Amino acid sequence: MEKANGTRAPQQPQLRINVPSTARERVSSVDPYGFERSNDFDYESYEELMSEYLAVLTKRSIKWSKLLQGKSLIEKNLKLKRYVRKGIPNEYRALIWMAASGSQEQMEKNPGYYNSLLQAQHDPKLVETIRTDLHRTFPDNVQFRKTAEPCLQKPLYNVLVAYGHHNKAVGYCQGMNFIAGYLLIITKDEEKSFWLMEALLGRILPDFYTPAMLGLKTDQEVLGELVKVKVPAVWQAMVEHNVMWTLVVSRWFICLFIDILPVETVLRIWDCLFYEGSKILFRVALTLIRHNQALISQARSLPDICDCFKQITKGAFVEDCHLFMQNIFKKPGSLSMATITKLRVMCRARIMAEES
Amino acid sequence: MSRKKAPKGKSGSASPSTTKDNNNRSGKSGLVAGVQANGVVHPSRASVSSSEFYDVAFKVMLVGDSGVGKTCLLVRFKDGAFLAGSFISTVGIDFRNKVLDIDGVKVKLQIWDTAGQERFRSVTHAYYRDAHALLLLYDVTNKASFDNIRAWLTEIHEYAQQDVVLMILGNKADASHDRTVRREEGERLAKEFGVPFMETSARSGLNVDLAFTAIAKELKHRSMKGVGEPKFKLHEYVNKEMKTTGCCRT
Repeated sequence: MEKANGTRAPQQPQLRINVPSTARERVSSVDPYGFERSNDFDYESYEELMSEYLAVLTKRSIKWSKLLQGKSLIEKNLKLKRYVRKGIPNEYRALIWMAASGSQEQMEKNPGYYNSLLQAQHDPKLVETIRTDLHRTFPDNVQFRKTAEPCLQKPLYNVLVAYGHHNKAVGYCQGMNFIAGYLLIITKDEEKSFWLMEALLGRILPDFYTPAMLGLKTDQEVLGELVKVKVPAVWQAMVEHNVMWTLVVSRWFICLFIDILPVETVLRIWDCLFYEGSKILFRVALTLIRHNQALISQARSLPDICDCFKQITKGAFVEDCHLFMQNIFKKPGSLSMATITKLRVMCRARIMAEES
Repeated sequence: MSRKKAPKGKSGSASPSTTKDNNNRSGKSGLVAGVQANGVVHPSRASVSSSEFYDVAFKVMLVGDSGVGKTCLLVRFKDGAFLAGSFISTVGIDFRNKVLDIDGVKVKLQIWDTAGQERFRSVTHAYYRDAHALLLLYDVTNKASFDNIRAWLTEIHEYAQQDVVLMILGNKADASHDRTVRREEGERLAKEFGVPFMETSARSGLNVDLAFTAIAKELKHRSMKGVGEPKFKLHEYVNKEMKTTGCCRT
């Protein structure tokens, strides 16, 4: 998975002169998904982390290949769920996401549907809106550059246009460009990306992306309610400084943590999102908030709180994706779907009453 | 964290009740300024970079259609940089601070950058009422974004404070080939609504600093007008200082 060039020690001693001596030289400046590492990327700690994580990846990869060996059908069960929580190896990601989310089934039931959407007459306004965001989707990813061969901008356009016409109630909402982009990076397949998008927006997530964004507003409030119970100090700080949840977490939900958490961490979260559903987003948010409650509750103003919420999505705690994923299932404590459903009903009613 | 605490450390020596007012929703604009106006004392300025201290603070919001260049304008102003094709679409709402020196007074602008797409407005409306100033942008190469200015103004009148400082900016003025909105059209519309207007370019930097400086001057004068000091005239200042695309192409 690592694209780092020349990391292996050469056979011939006389070639030693070419052995990279620093982490900066050993680690590629572009990550395995095509994202350029930022200027302040810490190569040293990344290399340290990867030396451990690579062992985990190797172990998981072997386990997965044994699990999937000779299987033509992937069934959801406790063992698979446990495996997913420990991370899907990148080579199986598209396969498992497609199977776990029901996208594979939908795709097989509807052959030719994706292409028919592409060939249909397109709403010029929708097309225009999507075009505005094409060059603003991952300009830091080499695969999305206009000069890239192949360039993912065209598949991105196709998936978004197809989805917008498939789900007219949603059309296109900013944030969907990033989601479709990630799906294309992982599946390397337009049609699969479309069906995964369909699973996410149609079944897994509440209505985050419709014009009224009621599902988003609801889940932001649900998070507030959960924080009130589980991390009261933070809830107190939010009330004291009059900070609406939407200000600090709308991007978390809309972008499903893309461009907020490190790429590898986002993918590990998505593994569980496709398998277990939208509850995972609350687990991630609660873990971040709870882990940093001392920092957040010390904030002295609204901008201070906003800064805190940006700060807590960076650093070692989120870089170590394997440990982070263990944390999201431990730190927030129990979180039943029944609780979330109940809170969603309550918050939705509250919002609708306020808006009417 | 010590960096963020810096301004509060200062206010402690000047006026103890200055920190929370800028979030006061029901309050009038310029609250922070009102209490901090006398606090032009900088006891520990030497120890930290001066940009972290301020005497007055104001909230400015950037609004306008998706893709008109709000984030680019802000980054140009904040960092003096324009990196073509390096921006991602803004989702939700975000802010950056910049401290300006206006006639010897450190004015902190807390600039809120918003998503332009219509459905995000229900999220951003809530922030209008706290804004001291609004910069309303359109893209001179995108007629639709200009045509939407009227709708934006309606929205602003509905949600923002009555005395909010408002300015209309026609951005991307460097793109002469693709221009579809003439400067005169922008001027005419702005005049109709009695709003100061200029064309800007985040790419070349044209009028970018001026737009924010003019806002900062107006807000500073409103909040700490000295006795006998002449009133600051935003319109006149803008018209005097503004450059047009003709005279300073890069």
